[in-house]
Amino acid sequence: MVVQPFSGDPVVEADAARLTTHRSLSSLRDFFSSEQILICFNGPISRTLISEIGDALKRHIHVSTDNLSSAMDVFSVYIEMSQNIRHYSAARGYAEPDATATVVIAETADGRYVVSAGNVVETPDGEAMLERVSRLAALDKQQLKALYKEQLRQPRPAGVSSGAGLGLIDVARKTSAPLQCSLDPLNAGQVFLTIRATI
Amino acid sequence: MTQDSAAGDRRLSDGFGEVEMSSPDLFLDATSATPAVRADWRAGCLRMVGESYPENTYEIFDQIITWVELFLAQAGRPLRLELELNYLNTSSIRAMIDIFDRLQEAHDAGVPASVVWLYDARNPRSAEMGEEFREDYTFAFTIAAQDH
Repeated sequence: MVVQPFSGDPVVEADAARLTTHRSLSSLRDFFSSEQILICFNGPISRTLISEIGDALKRHIHVSTDNLSSAMDVFSVYIEMSQNIRHYSAARGYAEPDATATVVIAETADGRYVVSAGNVVETPDGEAMLERVSRLAALDKQQLKALYKEQLRQPRPAGVSSGAGLGLIDVARKTSAPLQCSLDPLNAGQVFLTIRATI
Repeated sequence: MTQDSAAGDRRLSDGFGEVEMSSPDLFLDATSATPAVRADWRAGCLRMVGESYPENTYEIFDQIITWVELFLAQAGRPLRLELELNYLNTSSIRAMIDIFDRLQEAHDAGVPASVVWLYDARNPRSAEMGEEFREDYTFAFTIAAQDH
C-alpha cells in the first residue's frame, strides 16, 4: 500500500524520504539475514520489553530446534545480560539516551547462538569489566562453578537486591566458548561496552 | 516478635478479619517475571510455580521469606515446599537460598522441612538447578520429573 502525502506536503520530498527509508531498511534487513540475527533491539529498554523479547526468543528457539535446553540457556544469558544493563543504568542514575541497550541474538553457522549486549558506561567501569571478563574467560567449567557457589554465599551490600556479580559468572557457565568483551571509545569519559556470549 | 506484627499488619491492610490472621495464607498470581505462589498455612505447604526473574527480588521474595519464617517459628508442624520452577535468574537463586537456609536451620533444630522439586521432563536445566541447590543442604530434597 502506498501512503499518499497529505495535501500541501511537498510530494517530491516525501517520495525521496520514503525511498531513503526503504533502501536503508532493506539493506539493514540484508545485514540481519546475512548475520543470521534472530532478534535485535536498540533503544531504551524496559522490564516489560525484556520479558516480551525474552519470551519470543525462547519460543522461537524451542519451536525451531525442539530443544528446550538451548532455549533456556539462551534465554537465561539474555536475561542476565539485559538486567545487568538495567541495573547499571539505574545505579549510575542515567537518563536517556545513556540508559539504553543494544542487544543482538544471532545464530552461528554451526547451530550455536550468540547473545551480544552493549551499553554506554563510564570508562573506568568499562575497563574494570574488560578485566573481569578476561578473568572469567580463563576459567574452566569447574572453576566457574566453584566461583559461582562462593559468590552465592557472599553477603550482599545493604539495599542491593540484584545478583551483584553473580549474573556474569552464570553467563560464563553457560557459554561454549570464552566470554568476549570490547570497549569502543565515545566522548567525555565514556565508552560503549559490548559483552558477547556464545552458547 | 516483629515478624508477628509485620504479618498482622499485612493481613489488616488487606482487609482480612481475625480468622485470616490466625491462618495467614499467602497467595500471589503469576506475572511474566514472577511465579504463582500459594503458601497454605493449614496444609503446611508453600507452592511456587512458573518462572522467576524480577529485576528486584524483594518484589515477591520478602513476603515469602517472612511467611516461611513465621510458619517455622509458630506452626510447630513440618513445612513442605513444592517447587515447579522452569527458570530462576541469579537474584532469584539468591533469594531461594535465603529460604532454603531457613529450612536448614529448622531442620537442624528438629523441625521437619522438605523440598519437592518438580521439573518439566523436557527441561533438564530445571533439574540441574535443583541438583545444585540440593548439594548444599541435608534436609529432605526430592527432585522428580513431570511429563507435560
